[in-house]
Amino acid sequence: MVDLAGQDGVTPPRDGRRRALLYHVVLCLASIAMLYPLLWMLASSFKPDSDIFGDASLWPRHFSLAAYWRGWSGLQVTFGRFFLNSLVVSLCSVVGNVMSCSLAAYAFARLKFRGQKFWFALMLGTLMLPYHVTLIPQYILFLNLDWVDTFLPLIVPKFLAVDAFFIFLLVQFFRSIPRELDEAAMIDGCGPWRIYWIVILPLSIPALATAAIFTFIWTWDDFFGPLIYLNDMNSYTVQLGLRSFVDSTGKSDWGALFAMSTLTLLPLFVFFLFFQRLLIDGIATTGLKG
Amino acid sequence: MAAAHTPETSWRESATGYLFLAPWLIGFFGLTLGPALVSLYLSFTDYDLLSNPRWVGAANYVRIATSDPKFSAAMHVTFLYVALSVPLKLAFALLVAMMLNRGLRGLPLYRAIFYLPSLIGASVAVSVLWRQVFSGDGLLNQALKLVGIHGPSWISNPDTALYTLVALAVWQFGSPMIIFLAGLRQIPKDVYEAAEIDGASRSQQFWRITLPLLTPVLFFNLVVQTIDAFKAFTPAFIISGGTGGPIDSTLFYTLYLYQEAFAYFRMGYASALAWVLVVIIAVFTALSFLTSRYWVHYDG
Repeated sequence: MVDLAGQDGVTPPRDGRRRALLYHVVLCLASIAMLYPLLWMLASSFKPDSDIFGDASLWPRHFSLAAYWRGWSGLQVTFGRFFLNSLVVSLCSVVGNVMSCSLAAYAFARLKFRGQKFWFALMLGTLMLPYHVTLIPQYILFLNLDWVDTFLPLIVPKFLAVDAFFIFLLVQFFRSIPRELDEAAMIDGCGPWRIYWIVILPLSIPALATAAIFTFIWTWDDFFGPLIYLNDMNSYTVQLGLRSFVDSTGKSDWGALFAMSTLTLLPLFVFFLFFQRLLIDGIATTGLKG
Repeated sequence: MAAAHTPETSWRESATGYLFLAPWLIGFFGLTLGPALVSLYLSFTDYDLLSNPRWVGAANYVRIATSDPKFSAAMHVTFLYVALSVPLKLAFALLVAMMLNRGLRGLPLYRAIFYLPSLIGASVAVSVLWRQVFSGDGLLNQALKLVGIHGPSWISNPDTALYTLVALAVWQFGSPMIIFLAGLRQIPKDVYEAAEIDGASRSQQFWRITLPLLTPVLFFNLVVQTIDAFKAFTPAFIISGGTGGPIDSTLFYTLYLYQEAFAYFRMGYASALAWVLVVIIAVFTALSFLTSRYWVHYDG
């Protein structure tokens, strides 16, 4: 909606422009307020410790990378290990979610089978179920399988399409692909597997990418899962590493703490920079939350 | 769909359907339905992981309802958090969405800036940052010092600790804002033009046009954000060091559940807590849907 007051001449256009300027000022101030804590954290990670609290300014007077060196090897295990672990868990989760959710979505959107509506309704029902209800028996299950302190409890569920939200998202998308394409492929002799593989998946790249990116971000950010399943520091993800770092340094080394916090946020910023459009469209059309 | 089957194709088609569905089916039975039933059973037992579950009937639920001060504290904290953070968050989201919905230049940049905190908000790093911002010599008090106010240590004061978590939640108004923005785009311009000609003021336009036409989106955001707020965990855990302190002032329901299950290994009691949470969320959602027909307008 453009500013209507200026458009139809009820109020003179100058008033509309002044109003727009006012909005810009307010929005700019709000933007600064929103970003200030993040920028301050970034700036503080480059400051020597003595300057962090003396000086709320964003530009470090004495630029130093010392906090990064201190933080990186501040625990018995370096952050490199945590990053590697997080990367393994996140990438496996992406593969698992995209594969299993797209298979299920294809079955719901394109195939016919007995009981389809029933299973679809159940799948939608699981969207409403808070994870707390399944948490404890799942833990007991994985404990009995001897999977605690491995990445399996974090990864295997993703291969079993436990994030029903992505199934729902992909079903909606698959339904928007014209059925004529399937029929043409079928006439050319393709079975359901080939149709799924050479027709549906290539046409669904935007939806698959949305699912993949959100899976990556949520897994990277996940604290609760690793907190429950990973006890050995060698298997910690970045979120657990950061938490241990908070506990071990307490209030003494804020510089190093901010440096490592910045590093754990870095992949998210990179994703944000590259896929901002896709992320925002994903939210706007599906209600995925960030 | 089922009626369309002919006998000779249905068997093969169904088999293919179930093959595609197999991963989800295994997950549904093994990781969702099965565990849900087990946790319902465990909620009537005493179980510490080491010895077998001991059936105690409704004792866990009775204790929750009558004699658990920690439960009452957690309920109090959680409801206060939901009741404060959700309306504030939605109000900011709507306000900013309306300001952005005016064809201003630089819209993509503003939208990105306001959305960023929502994207990163769940990470431990942001909770760590927040703990610092609101600590005694933190960023907020440094700013207050400039105007001559000597602020308290917000995080370690039981009267203010919860509000710092509310502030963190409100800071993440970006994703409901994006959804509001998408909803505002759907409202036809000519409705406003007609109202303008009839001499409606801006506030009349807001209350009579924008808000009613936006109620489906508002409803969606309200339900999603409320469920989300009930489930909040990481900020409270990090900011209170896992304790929910000071004096249980940030003991979120999920944090209490975690403590019972994974610090004290009272798996039966924690299962009962989980089911109580499910009932609370279900009741809230059902109430939202029931009342929605009085205030949500679906026919534009």
